[in-house]
Amino acid sequence: MTYVSLNFIFFLAAFFLLFFMVPGTRLKQAVVLAGNIFFYYFAGGIQGLFVILFISLVTYVASRIMGRIYEPYDKEIEGLDYKAKMALFASYKKKTKLILIPGIILIIGFLVFGKAFRLTGIEAPAMLSPFLMPLGLSYYALSSTGYMLDVFWKKTKPETNPIYLILCVSYFPAIVEGPINKYSKLITEFKGLKGFSYEPFCRGLQRVLWGFFKKLVIADRLSLYTSVVYKDPGAYAGFEIIIAVILGAIQLYTDFSGCIDIGIGISEAIGVKMPENFNQPFFAKSAAEFWRRWHISLGDWFKEYISMPLAVNQKVIGVSMKIRKLLGGGRRSVQFSGSFIPLMSVWILTGLWHGTGLDYLVWGLYWGVLFLLESVFAPDFSALYKKAGIDEKSFGFKFYLMARTFIFFCIGRMFTVAGSLTGFAIMFKRMFLLNPWVLFDGSLYTHGLDRKNFYTVLFAVILLFIIDLKKEEKKDIRGLLAAQPRVFRWLCLYMLIFTVAVFGIYGPGFQASDFVYRGF
Amino acid sequence: MRDKIKELLTANYPDIDFESSTELVDSGVLSSFIVVNIISLFTVEFGVTIPYEEIIPENFNSLDAMASLVEKLQ
Repeated sequence: MTYVSLNFIFFLAAFFLLFFMVPGTRLKQAVVLAGNIFFYYFAGGIQGLFVILFISLVTYVASRIMGRIYEPYDKEIEGLDYKAKMALFASYKKKTKLILIPGIILIIGFLVFGKAFRLTGIEAPAMLSPFLMPLGLSYYALSSTGYMLDVFWKKTKPETNPIYLILCVSYFPAIVEGPINKYSKLITEFKGLKGFSYEPFCRGLQRVLWGFFKKLVIADRLSLYTSVVYKDPGAYAGFEIIIAVILGAIQLYTDFSGCIDIGIGISEAIGVKMPENFNQPFFAKSAAEFWRRWHISLGDWFKEYISMPLAVNQKVIGVSMKIRKLLGGGRRSVQFSGSFIPLMSVWILTGLWHGTGLDYLVWGLYWGVLFLLESVFAPDFSALYKKAGIDEKSFGFKFYLMARTFIFFCIGRMFTVAGSLTGFAIMFKRMFLLNPWVLFDGSLYTHGLDRKNFYTVLFAVILLFIIDLKKEEKKDIRGLLAAQPRVFRWLCLYMLIFTVAVFGIYGPGFQASDFVYRGF
Repeated sequence: MRDKIKELLTANYPDIDFESSTELVDSGVLSSFIVVNIISLFTVEFGVTIPYEEIIPENFNSLDAMASLVEKLQ
């Protein structure tokens, strides 16, 4: 069962019905837990449920023991000055680290173990393979590790009831592609589950519907073309590849953000708030801004738990100093040396999180280098623009920056869609072959997406662009819709349902293709 | 201390007006990337070790906040 299947619609209807029928927070939590187990059993298999239970218990036990160790700390710091407090905290951290590190090794080890099999291509023993990389592990492993680190840094108090951690780890609206939740916040949401409320329920369902539209009408339709070109890039050239790359970027955005819309929408409908994962990424004017708008929860996780701890690590600072001396100590070398290690570590890990091949490693390094160049040379670029008399606030200039960022993203995406670095090289080289006639002679419509489907997707993308533009202008689309007369509201909703039902791309048994990020 | 910090930051980030805001991090003027750099600068220039627990927006939102952080750690 996936989010985009008929079975899921029936499951969701039953889940909502049961959730709103039962009284009290406890019973509602029980319904969520039952929903999580039911969904996971059919979407990820029973073996994956054991992995969820294992990760939940490791997180629970490790955080509880760390909490126990910290118990006397709050009394001992009374009356101490700042430096003494920090020294005391450091001594406590030394003790809790003995619990934290095995906890992290167990959880991240599980993730690395599964990915290692993929990387090496070694076939796992039949008994073991269902436990390797079960659905959602890449997401809940990070959330669980983040929770343990939050307890370690005393950002949150450990939860005493293990059921809440099982609820968090298995939460079905976040299990397929995230967002990567902060469990301390999610637990608070579960503790405050309430009865039916019309507005969040309606808003949630509208968002679910919008997610279906993005996935079924746009992403899956675009994949008809992109999958053909990506499969054999050597057979295509010039505009055929350029169009595949552009459509592929839109496909990934609508696929991933569509799934997130479905998850966040379901969660919103039952009154559970989850973090946003997208903020109109294609309006970004730099690589750094792009990653603050794309897969936000992953970026926040890496910032909070990798980049910042590395930035304050004395050994890292020592190495940064050496790099700085080597480069001469000017402004550029200060900025380069200060951020080189945290940034490149984050991007190498981000690459490996997405995939285990060399192509993903290069993809991570590509973004790391872009970030570094952008940051180090930003004042130089700015001075250059001023000298050239370019108004950096003009629409034309902003449009240029957005287009440039989009191209950066497309090139980055090419590293991974071609299947290997050789595939990337072929694709990149052939992209520059001139064949403008394919835009007019109809041959574009022979690569999986016929003329009718091209126009359908074009119309849908224009609609998506208008909605994203309004969101960029901080307009609350669903709020605007709610303010309209009832007839108009229902007409819009019925039209959207009709569009998804008629123009969605469905496979056998009304089962749509899997979400791209599910594979991570 | 405040003046020293202002001088240090302005030399490295000439495009950022550090005086004008008390929400440098919250308003997005200082990205996490720049904060990482500022941590490194403070460690090198003032010899302070900034604990991870102090990497919170409130400590980097203004020149005053940064000055008080460095003074506290010295």
